[in-house]
Amino acid sequence: MLARSGRSDAGADPRSAPAPSFGLRWLWQYAQDLPRPYVLDCGPLRSATLAVLLGRSGRFYRGDLITPLKRPDLWDRTRKTPVFRTELLLAELPSVAPASLSLVFCWHLLDLLPREALADVLLQVHKLMESGGVLFCLLREPRLDRGADAEWELDGLNCLKHAREGTTPFPYPALSNREIDRLLPTGSVKTFLTRSGWREVLVVK
Amino acid sequence: MPDATPRPPAASGGQPSSTLGRSVTIKGELSAKEDLVIEGQFEGTIDVAEHTVTVGPQGQVKSEIRARQVVVHGSVNGKITAREKIDIRRTGNVTGDLQAAGVAIEDGAYFKGSIEILREGRAEAAPARPVAIPRPS
Repeated sequence: MLARSGRSDAGADPRSAPAPSFGLRWLWQYAQDLPRPYVLDCGPLRSATLAVLLGRSGRFYRGDLITPLKRPDLWDRTRKTPVFRTELLLAELPSVAPASLSLVFCWHLLDLLPREALADVLLQVHKLMESGGVLFCLLREPRLDRGADAEWELDGLNCLKHAREGTTPFPYPALSNREIDRLLPTGSVKTFLTRSGWREVLVVK
Repeated sequence: MPDATPRPPAASGGQPSSTLGRSVTIKGELSAKEDLVIEGQFEGTIDVAEHTVTVGPQGQVKSEIRARQVVVHGSVNGKITAREKIDIRRTGNVTGDLQAAGVAIEDGAYFKGSIEILREGRAEAAPARPVAIPRPS
């Protein structure tokens, strides 16, 4: 697998809204020959994001995997050690044909998942992506300890805007690109560093 | 003095409309040649192709809806097809597939499913998928 990174010195700071995103710029350049890609948004519903993505999608799917993480029923507490019920979270995904998605926006979902759920969630999303499909996510740097409740929205195709900065501490340690790489059956990982403490990570299947 | 009494959401200004009240529960096929406001529970199919369907805040619909416009304040589970626009308001809760010339969903609403935009009035299927994606360096 290939892991590459680029640094976006010109900004790409999603805390100062709206800011150009080099990851998104790369994404849309990559998808420029796809007139109507199938797109999945796994984040909290933002009307601005919806408007942008609807204009660019052939079919747009959404199922929020981030907001339900607050639900207490996602944890089975009948056992000695609470067990995360990944199947309940994945039930929030809409019905999507396997290998049909060109682009998936999962925002900072991976930073919020318990480690034991990461592989299953990534695998499920990976199954839904077509070959060459791209997963766009934001991963925090280890130095960023707060922002679990952050929310972003698109301000045009190439700009990210913080809809909410987020002040809640992260529940789990920061993920490295190597960990993401290891969890994926196939694909390459491309990373854009920003000054905000968030990496823009694109996984190409 | 303006009347500040809360009213059910209007279907569309000045047009005659039928309302299924809060206590009404219906199963079956519903068609109409006027706007429709649903405040109760409905299960089945709704076909008001030339008019507006409004699901009120208390409305619960398990149904396929075909209309010119659909406005959702309440809950809908099923496919919605609108020749013009589907509008899901903040209190709306929709699970299903949407097909319309335009779709707007307010922040705070719940939506799970797919959206297909009918472009230039054509009820076309999604275009054929490209075989390969070019890979920029």
